[in-house]
Amino acid sequence: MNRKRFGFSALVAAFALAVSTLVAPSASAATEIVVWADENRGPDLTKVIAAKGDWVPGFTVKVVTFSSFDALKEAFDKATDASGPDIVVGANDWVPTGAKSGKLAPLTLTAAVKARFNPTQFLDLTYKGKLYGVPVDINNVAMIYNTKLVSSAPKTFGEMVAEYKSLKTSKGLKAGLCIAGGGMSWGAHSVFSALGADAYQFNSRGQIVYNRAFNASTFGKNVRTLLMDGNKSNGFFPATDTGCKDNFLAGTVPYAVIGNWEWSDYADKGFAMNLMPVPGVKAGTYGKMFGSVSGALLTTFAAKHGVESAAKSLLTNFFASSDGQVRYQTLAKRPPAEKGAQANTTITAAQRGFGTSASLAGIPQIGAFLNSNKGGANYWDSAPAYWTAVLIDGKDATKEAAKLSQIWRTNTIGGKGDL
Amino acid sequence: MTYLIRGKVALLIKVVVVALLASVLLLLAQSAFAQREYVIAAFLAISVVLLALTYLSKISIPLKFFIPGILLLTAFVIGPILYTVAMSGFNYKTGNIISKEEAIVQIKVRGIEAAPSGLSFDIKLGTVDGKPAILVSDINTPEYFLSTLEDRTPLVASSLTLNEYGVAVEAPNFTPLNESEFASADKVYTGARFVFDDRFFIALEGFEAGVVSQQVLKFFPESDQFRNLLTGAIYTDNGRGNYSLADDKGAILEPGWRAPIWFENYSNIVTDPRVREPLIRVFIWTVVFALLTVLTTFALGLLLALALNKPIRGRRIYRSILVLPYAMPSVMSILIWGGMFNTEFGAINALLGTDIAWFSDPNFARLAVILVNLWLGFPYFYLISSGSLQAIPSELMEAAAIDGANPRQIFRKITLPLLLQILSPLLIASFAFNFNNFNLIFLLTGGGPRNELDGEIAGATDILISYTYKIAFGAGTQDLGLASAISLIIFILVASISLYSLKKSKVLESFA
Repeated sequence: MNRKRFGFSALVAAFALAVSTLVAPSASAATEIVVWADENRGPDLTKVIAAKGDWVPGFTVKVVTFSSFDALKEAFDKATDASGPDIVVGANDWVPTGAKSGKLAPLTLTAAVKARFNPTQFLDLTYKGKLYGVPVDINNVAMIYNTKLVSSAPKTFGEMVAEYKSLKTSKGLKAGLCIAGGGMSWGAHSVFSALGADAYQFNSRGQIVYNRAFNASTFGKNVRTLLMDGNKSNGFFPATDTGCKDNFLAGTVPYAVIGNWEWSDYADKGFAMNLMPVPGVKAGTYGKMFGSVSGALLTTFAAKHGVESAAKSLLTNFFASSDGQVRYQTLAKRPPAEKGAQANTTITAAQRGFGTSASLAGIPQIGAFLNSNKGGANYWDSAPAYWTAVLIDGKDATKEAAKLSQIWRTNTIGGKGDL
Repeated sequence: MTYLIRGKVALLIKVVVVALLASVLLLLAQSAFAQREYVIAAFLAISVVLLALTYLSKISIPLKFFIPGILLLTAFVIGPILYTVAMSGFNYKTGNIISKEEAIVQIKVRGIEAAPSGLSFDIKLGTVDGKPAILVSDINTPEYFLSTLEDRTPLVASSLTLNEYGVAVEAPNFTPLNESEFASADKVYTGARFVFDDRFFIALEGFEAGVVSQQVLKFFPESDQFRNLLTGAIYTDNGRGNYSLADDKGAILEPGWRAPIWFENYSNIVTDPRVREPLIRVFIWTVVFALLTVLTTFALGLLLALALNKPIRGRRIYRSILVLPYAMPSVMSILIWGGMFNTEFGAINALLGTDIAWFSDPNFARLAVILVNLWLGFPYFYLISSGSLQAIPSELMEAAAIDGANPRQIFRKITLPLLLQILSPLLIASFAFNFNNFNLIFLLTGGGPRNELDGEIAGATDILISYTYKIAFGAGTQDLGLASAISLIIFILVASISLYSLKKSKVLESFA
C-alpha cells in the first residue's frame, strides 16, 4: 500500500470512527423507567403518566407503545438486556413462560397493597408461588341481548334456543348466540360452563378439586338437546366467532357474548348495556366466565438497568393504586382491578356492569391449568376443537365431550405444580 | 457520464462511500458489542477492515466485485446455518434460554422469600454515618427502628418526625435521601439486606416498602450446588441446563440455562414418538404437496402455453390475464382464497351450492391448499413454458410432421423432452421452494385442521417448515433446539434432492 493510499485509509478509518462515536447511542439514563404496552393501553398510559410526573420521585417514566398486542409479545420474547423494558403491561398467561425463561422478576407486595385487590386476581399473576406483577384491569365477557329482537332477559339457555327458533325465519336470524369477544376458547367458556363443562372444578369452599372434571354425559346431552338437530348444528350457536359482532350489530343475532374492552362499540350503535352472564340449563344458574386480569409485570431487565426498586415503586404507587387506576381506566374504559378504583364514581356503568356480571358468575383464569398440555392439548386449542368436531364435523357430542373432559382433567393435575 | 466519475472525483466518491459504510458498520459493531453479541461485533469489525483493504488498495481487482456478495452471504446464509447447527446441539427452549451465570443470579433472587409472618414496613431510605440505612415504620404497632447492613436501632416515636400516615420521615443521626440521590441509590439499596433479627432481614420492595425476608436457597459455587436452607434439599447441575434434586430429576429450579446436549435433539426425532410420528406424517405430506404442486402448476402452465402458442384472436389479452395472478402479491391472494373457502359465507360453497367445511376436513383442506397453490403457481410455468416453446426450433416439428407424426406424437416425442431438458432446473427449484412454502400454509390453513381432542400435534396440512415453526415459536413451550435440528434435516433433504435431481438431469454439465 503506498503512502497516498495509506493516507486515504487512515482518513476513512478516522472518519468512520468519529461518526460512529458521535452517533452511537448512549446508555439509557438510570433515572428512566421504561414501560412497554400495546396499541390500546400505551397511549392511555402515556397520557396519564404525563399528566402527573411524580409517581416515583427522581425518576421519569417512558411508555413505549407497540402496534399490536402480538407485536408487544413478540418484542418482549426477543428483548435483550439493552432493549428490554423494566415493566411490561401484558396478559396473565405471559407469566409462566416469562418466569420460566427468566424474563420476569418476582416481587413481594406488602399486606397493604395486597388488600387493594381480590386475592383470586393474584392467582393469574403467580407462578410457582411467586408473584410477578400487579393486576391492572379485569378482562371478562358478558352476554348482551338485542331488545329489538327479544324483550326480556332470558332465564335459561333453553329459553334462548326457543326464542331463536321462533324468530329464525321471520327475523332472518343468522344465529342465536355467538361469541363476539374473546374467541371460541376464552370467550366461549361461559357457554361451555352454562352447558355443564367448566374448565376446572371447585368444591363448595372454593378450593380447586384437581382430580375431577366436568360430567361428559351431562354436557354432551345438553349440547345434543340445545345445539343440535340430529348430528347437525341447529344453527343457534356457530362454531366460530367469524362475523358475530357484525351480525349482532346488524340485528341478525339476538344474543352475543362481548368483551369488556369493546362495549363502547355497541353503546355507540345504540344498544343498551343490558349485560348478564350466559344463563344455564336450569333457571338461576349461569355459565361462568373467565375473570382474568392484565398485569403490569416486573421484568428482570429492571435490575440490569439499575431501576429495580424504582420499577417496584411505580408498580405500587401507580399501577396498583386507586389514584393510578382511576386515572388510567377513565381513559381505557375497562373495569379496574383495584377495589378503590372499582368503587370510584368516575368509572362508567358499563365498566361496572361487567364487574357485576363477573361477580354473579366468574371463575379465575388459572394459566397453570389452561396453558398446560399434559392432556395432549391445552385448553386454548382443545376448546374450539370441540365446537368444530361437534357442530361442524357432526361427531358425537358425548364422545367428544369425554375426550375434552379427560384432557382438561389431566391438564389441571399437570398444572398443579406451576401454581 | 463515465468520464465524469474518473480520476480524483471517482477516488473522492469512493473514499466517501467507503467511509460512510465503515461508519455504519462500526456503529453496528459498537452496538452489538454493547449487547454482548461479540461474534456479530467481530464480524462487523472484520468487514470494515476487509472493505477498506479491498477498495483502498490494489490487493485484488476481482475481490472488489465479490466482497459485498461474500460478506452478505456470510452474514445471511452461512451465519444462520452455523448458528442453527450450533443451536441444534443445545437444550434451548422455554425455560432454558439464558446463560448459566444469569440463571444462577435469578435463582438466588427467587431464593429470597417473605417471612411466614408476612411482615412488611413503610421505609425511608437514607444514610447513617454515610452508610446505607433505612428508617422503618410499623404503623400498626406502632414501632420504629433504624436498620443498617450491620445492626438495628430501636427508636421512640417522640424523637421522630412523622407524616400524616404515621410514617417516620426524619430521625436523629439519619440523613434521608433527597430526590436527586434516588437514581444512584437504586443500585446500592436494591438487593441490600437490612438487619431485622438473627434469622430474617428486610429487603426493599420499592423505595417506600420493606418486606421481612429470608434466604431460602443458597448457592455454593465450589460444588456448583444450590441448597434449600429450610429443608436441606440439594440441587445439582443435571447436565441439561437445570439444577435438580438427585433423587427427583423432575424437581428443578427455574430458570434454567442453555446447555449442550449434543445429539439429543436428533435422537429425539427418532426415539420420541411424540416427535417422530407427527414428523413422519408431515414429511410424507410435504413431499406429496411439493410434487403435486410442481406437477399441477407445470401441467396447467404448459397446457396454456401450448394453447396460446398458436396465433389466435386476442392472444395478447389472454396472455395478460393469465399473468395477473403472478402479478398480484401472493399474501393477498392467499388471504382472499382463504375467505372464498370459508364454510359459512365463502364464494366457493356459494357457487357449488355446498356446505363443505374446507378447512375442517383434512382432505378438503389439502385439496384447497393444492388448488390455491395451483392458482399462484401456474402463471410462472406458463411464462417459462411459453419462452421455452419459442426456443425449440420449428424445423424439428415440421420434419416430424413431414415424416407422418401426428401432433400428439410430436408433443410426446419432441416438444416435451426438449422442454423438460430446458425446464428441469426450474422444476427442481420449484420443488425445493414448495418444500418450504411456509407462507401458503401459514396464511391459508395455519397447518390445520388438527384434531386436538385426539392428541394430534401436527395439522393435516402442516409441512415440515410450518411444523418446525410451531415447535420453535408455537404456544406453550418453544423448543428452539429441536426446531433447529429439524431445520437442519430439512436443509439436508432439500439440498440432497436438488443435487440428485440436478445430477440426474445433467443440467450442471452445461455449466462445466
